[in-house]
Amino acid sequence: MTVLEQVEAQIAQLSNRTTKRNTGTIRALADGVAQIDGLSGVMYNEMVQFPGNAIGIALNLGQDEVGCVILGDIAKLKEGDEVQTTGKLLSVPVGKALLGRVVDALGQPVDGKGPIDARETYPVERIAPGIIARKSVSQPVFTGITAIDSMIPIGRGQRELIIGDRGTGKTTIAIDTILNQAKINKVGLASGDPKFRPIYSIYVAVGQKNSNIVRTIATLEAAGALEYTVIVAAPAADNVANQYIAPFAGAAMGEWFMENDMDALIIYDDLSKHAVAYRQISLILKRPSGREAYPGDVFYLHSRLLERAARLDGKGSLTALPIVETLAGDISAYIPTNIISITDGQIFLETDLFNQGTRPAVSVGLSVSRVGSAAQIKATKQVGGKLKGELAQFRELAAFAQFGSDLDERTKKQLDRGSRIVELFKQPASAPIPIEQQCVTLWAMQKGYYDALEIKDIIPAARSLREFFATRKDALLAEIRTKAALDKDLESKIKAAADEWKLTQKA
Amino acid sequence: MKADKRTTQLARQLLKLSLDADGRPSAERVAGVLAYIEKTKPARALALLHAYHRLLAVEVARTQAVIEHAGPVSDAIVEQIAAVMTQKYNRPIVAAPKPAPALIAGLRIRVGDDVYDNSALGALKELADATAI
Repeated sequence: MTVLEQVEAQIAQLSNRTTKRNTGTIRALADGVAQIDGLSGVMYNEMVQFPGNAIGIALNLGQDEVGCVILGDIAKLKEGDEVQTTGKLLSVPVGKALLGRVVDALGQPVDGKGPIDARETYPVERIAPGIIARKSVSQPVFTGITAIDSMIPIGRGQRELIIGDRGTGKTTIAIDTILNQAKINKVGLASGDPKFRPIYSIYVAVGQKNSNIVRTIATLEAAGALEYTVIVAAPAADNVANQYIAPFAGAAMGEWFMENDMDALIIYDDLSKHAVAYRQISLILKRPSGREAYPGDVFYLHSRLLERAARLDGKGSLTALPIVETLAGDISAYIPTNIISITDGQIFLETDLFNQGTRPAVSVGLSVSRVGSAAQIKATKQVGGKLKGELAQFRELAAFAQFGSDLDERTKKQLDRGSRIVELFKQPASAPIPIEQQCVTLWAMQKGYYDALEIKDIIPAARSLREFFATRKDALLAEIRTKAALDKDLESKIKAAADEWKLTQKA
Repeated sequence: MKADKRTTQLARQLLKLSLDADGRPSAERVAGVLAYIEKTKPARALALLHAYHRLLAVEVARTQAVIEHAGPVSDAIVEQIAAVMTQKYNRPIVAAPKPAPALIAGLRIRVGDDVYDNSALGALKELADATAI
């Protein structure tokens, strides 16, 4: 055989290739879900190719028919259309190329900034890391919110739920955390410290208004945090299937960072809407419904999603901050209790506190971090270790004090101190405070630097103290940051600086 | 008309009765089933007939290799395809040639849900999908 004949034989082989497809026909279409006759060879969760480049996922494998959720435009599909299996699981692009971009549930850009140069894809549904691969949470994630970092600390690889009624500042806490990561990343990367590990953020917006998503993007962009963030948007106007798949797509993007020895933070905003989208899909698929009409596997839906957040031994971590919206503060509803039991703690935000002007409206009694204390730096423990107990006592006493006016001196003192701590924890949105500044502020509280002040003057005084340290004691702040613990020498330096600040206050 | 669970179950039982010893739908047995329905007039007879028809169509498609061809196909090739498919699916499969000039060239064989495409039209579609932006 000559060389030319060899090539010709190869061409003939290729051009004669027979392709085998497993097909089916659409029998019924409703609300983004198609019932399909045929597809006898389809696998569970397999991608199904619909006409017009729409993609479906096979979720119900029945005796005679297959139930598929359709991702993308369903307007062009009709009964009798032929569909075919692809032999592939749904995958999304992953990698650093996604940073700074806004993508849909399938990882396709929706920000008009052109195509994304992602070289790898990860399947949307993946089994969470097992026991052996994991490592305990021991490194902190600073939210920049004093009340959280001092009392409900979060560690890398932790799942901490943010829960509360609508309009209590849940998203604000999440966004502030992203802003703080960007701030820390900038400082850390500029320092050239080889041990510094930046945290990349993924914000998954499920069932939200487009205007809210735009506002979030604008906040991140204005603060220069978008370059460290991926936004996965499945707004309320999107197909329910996209809303269902978006958190899993975000988790796949986060897993890439974790698998590649980096740290990532993922925010699911919010899982109540995600559960509602899943309920809608399940009802249309005619799956048996249970409590509040949710399907029986709604717990598994969220547990398999949140279990994917982990800290891996010898690799990176994925920290998850799921958000859940409650109705009238009812944390004993179905979805909130499910997610509370899955996560490693919760930050509960109260409407009453929010309306009283205590923002962030963190309820100290109902909030907890089950593993975060292991990740808290020693300096914060030293200055804020007793704060949670003191505040809890204050809340209890304050409730009793409403009924009586003649209080003993000790009780009055405790109430006064409690109200000062509450005041100190008030913090505006989009203004995360670096951990070293938080330490200094809390240290000053512990040492009674605000005791002589009127309560209304505490916030300006604390702000002035932070500014004083940031502008004039930068080296000291850097020392606190690097040492991460307050020894005698450091404390004496802080005391000297605080005394200096006090003099400026008197003047 | 949508069949309820009970109707679908009955339709499945009727389908079982319609298959001969080889597992293929038999005209004689189908006629018997239809006569039974006519005689007993079960509840929701129309829905039952629709469900039965759907299941029977799937079964017929499973036992048939529909060979769509653009050009002429000899009887020998048709027989060869039937033999190969019978061996592949481990059940008797009858070949049913069907001219399809739209394929431009080549063959497309459909056995149940499976489609084996070796046509020019299929290749062009594949190319179009691969180059679609």
